[in-house]
Amino acid sequence: MSDGVVQILVAVAFAAVAAGLAIRLRLGLGREIVVAAVRAVVQLALVGAVIAAVFRFPALSVAFVAAMVVASALTAGSRLRGLRRPRLGAAVAIAPPALVATGVLVLTGAFDATPRAIVPTAGILLGGAMAAATLTGRRMLEGVRDELDAIETRLALGDDVRTALAPVLRTAVVTGLVPAIDQTRSVGLVTLPGTFVGLVLGGASPAEAARTQLVVLLALLLVELVAALLMAEAVSRAATAPGERVVPPPPDGRPRRG
Amino acid sequence: MEPRSAVGLTARDVRLRRDGRLVLDGARLTLLPGTVTALVAPSGAGKSTLLRCLNRLTRADSGTVRLAGRDVATIDPRELRRRVALVVQTPTMLPGTVAENVAYALPRATPGDVEAALRAADLPPAFADRDAAGLSGGERARVAVARALARAPEVLLLDEPTAALDADSAAVIGRTLRRLAEGGLAVCLAVHDLPFARGVADRVVGLDDRELPV
Repeated sequence: MSDGVVQILVAVAFAAVAAGLAIRLRLGLGREIVVAAVRAVVQLALVGAVIAAVFRFPALSVAFVAAMVVASALTAGSRLRGLRRPRLGAAVAIAPPALVATGVLVLTGAFDATPRAIVPTAGILLGGAMAAATLTGRRMLEGVRDELDAIETRLALGDDVRTALAPVLRTAVVTGLVPAIDQTRSVGLVTLPGTFVGLVLGGASPAEAARTQLVVLLALLLVELVAALLMAEAVSRAATAPGERVVPPPPDGRPRRG
Repeated sequence: MEPRSAVGLTARDVRLRRDGRLVLDGARLTLLPGTVTALVAPSGAGKSTLLRCLNRLTRADSGTVRLAGRDVATIDPRELRRRVALVVQTPTMLPGTVAENVAYALPRATPGDVEAALRAADLPPAFADRDAAGLSGGERARVAVARALARAPEVLLLDEPTAALDADSAAVIGRTLRRLAEGGLAVCLAVHDLPFARGVADRVVGLDDRELPV
C-alpha cells in the first residue's frame, strides 16, 4: 500500500473508533461524528483538487481568494442577525484588512508572489478576521440590547450616541481580540499552530517554519483588530437613530423605528 | 390657536403608535417653572413614553413639544437633555463612585459642584466617595436626582420616583422636589399613586393636561 492510502485508512480508523465509542456510550453523537468526518473527507478532497488546479493556473487564485471572501462573509453573516445586511457588513469588516495585509506581505517580499504562498496566507488572515468580526459583532449586538438602560442613561445625561456606546464597543472589541491575543501569547507553549506544523511536516526546517508562523501570527493581530473595529462600527451605525437616539437592532434583523 | 407659553415646557397632541398599538393619543402637558406637576395615570397608560418624548429619547409620530417657547425638535438633543433632565423609575448607576456619576459628562465640574448637587438632593457630601454600585434603591433615586441637578436643568422629569421606596424615603424625595420647585425648577413626576401626588404637587393632571377632580 502507498503511504497516502495508509494515511487515509489510519485517519478513517480514528473517526470510526470515535463514532463507535459515541454510539456505545449512547452519547447521541455517533451520527454527527460520522457526518462531520464524511464532510471533512469530501471537502478536503475537493479543496485539494481545486488548489492543485490553482497551482497549475495562477490566475485561478484570484477566484479562489474571492470564494474564500464570500464564504467567510456568509459564515459570519449567519451569526450576525440583527444587522440589516449582515453578510455585506461582515464582508466589509473581514475582506479589507485581510486582503490588504496579504498584499503587504507579498509586496514586501515576506511571502512569495505565488499561489502557493498567497492562497494559504489569505485564507489564514481571512479566517482570523472572520472570527474576530463575528465575536465582536455578536458581543456588541448583545451589549446594545442588554445595556440599553446604561446607554440611555448616558444619552439622558447629555452624551452623543458615539460616546454613549463607547463602553459597549470597547468590551466587544476586547472580546473579539481575546482569541488572537491568547493564540499569540501561548504559541509553542500550549499549541503548535497550523502553519508551523504544516511547514515542518512538509519538510521545511523548524527555523523556517517558526519564522513564517511568526509573520502570520503578528499580522493577524492587526488584521483582527481592524476587522473587529470595522464590525463594531457597523453595529454602531445599525443601532443609531436620528436625534442622538439608540434603537437596538432587533434579533430578526427587521428595521424598527423608535 | 393655543397661546404659546414662553416659559416652561409644553406638549401638545403628542401621538405615538408602536407595534400597531396607540401608546399616546394626543397627550398634552404643561410644566411651569416653580411648580410641581404630577402626571397621574394607570400603569401602562403611556406616562413613561410621554416623558421620553419630552427629552427626545423617543420620537413621537406627531405633536409638538416646546421648551421656553422653542420647538424641541430644533434644539440639539444633547443640549435638550441637559435642560430637560429625566430620572427613570429604576435609575442605572454608571460604573464608578457617586461623584463620578454626578459629574458624568461634565468635564468642568468641581468637587464643590458635586457637593452642591448632592446637597440639593438631600444627600450628605460624604456620599461622593461611595461606590455607586453598592447603593440601595432609595439612595440610587436620590443620586439620580443629584446627577440630573448637576446639569442645572430647567425641567426635572421623574418617572415613578417613589415606586420602589418605603414611605420614609418617598417622603424625603417629596420634600426635595418641593424645595427644588420653590427654587424655580419646573418639576414633573409621573406617578400612579394619587395620594402621594396630592401631597407633593401643585397641579395633578392626566395625560390630557386636565386637572384631576379632587
